Amino acid sequence: MIGAGRTKQYANVLDKPLSKGRQEVSLSAFSFLFSEIVQYNQTQVDNIAELERRLEDAGYAVGARVLELLCHREKGNRRETRLLGILSFVHSTVWKVLFGKVADSLEKGTEHEDEYMISENELLVNRFISVPKDMGAFNCGAFVAGIVKGVLDGAGFPAVVTAHFVPMEQQQRPRTTILIKFAEEVLRREAKLG
Amino acid sequence: MAAAINCLFIINKSGGLIFYKDCGSAGRMDTNDSLRLASLWHSMHAISQQLSPVNGCSGIQLLQADTFDLHCFQSLTGTKFFVVSEPGAQHMEPLLKVIYELYTDYVLKNPFYEMEMPIRCELFDINLSQAIQRDRVALLGR
Amino acid sequence: MQNAELFTLTYGAIVRQLLTDLEDVDEVNKQLDQMGYNIGIRLIDEFLAKSNVSRCVNFKETAEVIAKVGFKMFLGITATVTNWDVDGSSCSLVLEDNPLVDFVELPDMCQGLYYCNVLSGVIRGALEMVSMKTEVTWVRDMLRGDDAYELRLKLLKQVPEEYPYKDDE
Repeated sequence: MIGAGRTKQYANVLDKPLSKGRQEVSLSAFSFLFSEIVQYNQTQVDNIAELERRLEDAGYAVGARVLELLCHREKGNRRETRLLGILSFVHSTVWKVLFGKVADSLEKGTEHEDEYMISENELLVNRFISVPKDMGAFNCGAFVAGIVKGVLDGAGFPAVVTAHFVPMEQQQRPRTTILIKFAEEVLRREAKLG
Repeated sequence: MAAAINCLFIINKSGGLIFYKDCGSAGRMDTNDSLRLASLWHSMHAISQQLSPVNGCSGIQLLQADTFDLHCFQSLTGTKFFVVSEPGAQHMEPLLKVIYELYTDYVLKNPFYEMEMPIRCELFDINLSQAIQRDRVALLGR
Repeated sequence: MQNAELFTLTYGAIVRQLLTDLEDVDEVNKQLDQMGYNIGIRLIDEFLAKSNVSRCVNFKETAEVIAKVGFKMFLGITATVTNWDVDGSSCSLVLEDNPLVDFVELPDMCQGLYYCNVLSGVIRGALEMVSMKTEVTWVRDMLRGDDAYELRLKLLKQVPEEYPYKDDE
């Protein structure tokens, strides 16, 4: 966050108690804000890949801060050291705080050892968004992929995180899968920890 | 199955047609006709406000003909939603209100929608069809 | 309604992005206001659809509706309307709470930043869509050392409706 712990004439923000996280705004307020982020970023890029990257970057900033906030508030400053622990933290705690529910599913990839998937039938950020056909597979969930990456990086589990639409048989609309591909070092460390 | 709504038009505050949906089989209109009709309705609606003997008239809300009714809702922002329905169709006002809310959700919150332009939002189409279907089912149940 | 933290953190991310892209604080202020305006012109229809307010009789009523209904509906807070000028065209909106600014402090190099400038744009954009041209400015900003968040809302003019058949093409 824009902040440096310098004392000013008003109370130092670091001295203020952390909010308990009970303040509420409407989903609409967030949706309009998010829509504007997407629109602004569209004016800053030449192609869809760049748009995705910018949304991921914006999400990353959110993820990094969510991790700090939650570690302090919910976990008493304890740190996750195991892979499944951090994944569960993202899938349940982070999701609940940001989106009001735990994620629909958490799965291990079948093809690659380093891949995990968090899926959501309908990502909150995509709730009101219809992507035009000419934008192909573009998914505004790139923002959420960025959030997850921010959390994982901050927690010491670097990964490449991307968002994908996955068509589902029983559903009219595809669900979104956040694909997490952990860095080599994470898997090596995990193997050592047994 | 009788459709209470025959078709739905949405026009922007300049009178441009931004959405047209045909729900019935009769009276299907081609693109040029629908554009022209929307523009004409926009003018008529404005004229009706001028005809009012008192200030603050909000324009035509209901037009009744022998073979159809036309219900029109104009938001305070000037966007007009109107449906051509069976004569005597009830509960069109609440349906128009539902459609207005769907517009505020699935059109206005869509970052890929440009204001005043034709609506091409898949979620709006899906939810609109569901709302019309629900209304149709409720109609049969009455 | 949902947890404000996603909203607050996302807004912070936007401001950071703008500071990186534009570098100049005045430019960021302008861009935040513009983004707010873009939001306001869309948000107004949802407000009208869901709040069931009818056309406001005068500007005083408009200000009250924004403060009591508008802020509540979207941000879960209420504002107070005060300091009306003599002809009822200008007033202050004072916010007790501000979900945009949790966890935020302005560093020295951003002292000219109106962090919440998106709000002034939203109000201006929303009112313009219902035929009111206004000027909305920050009078007090807690991030800049004041004791409250206060917006000054000024009605410039009511734009009359146009009748299409009167225009010369």
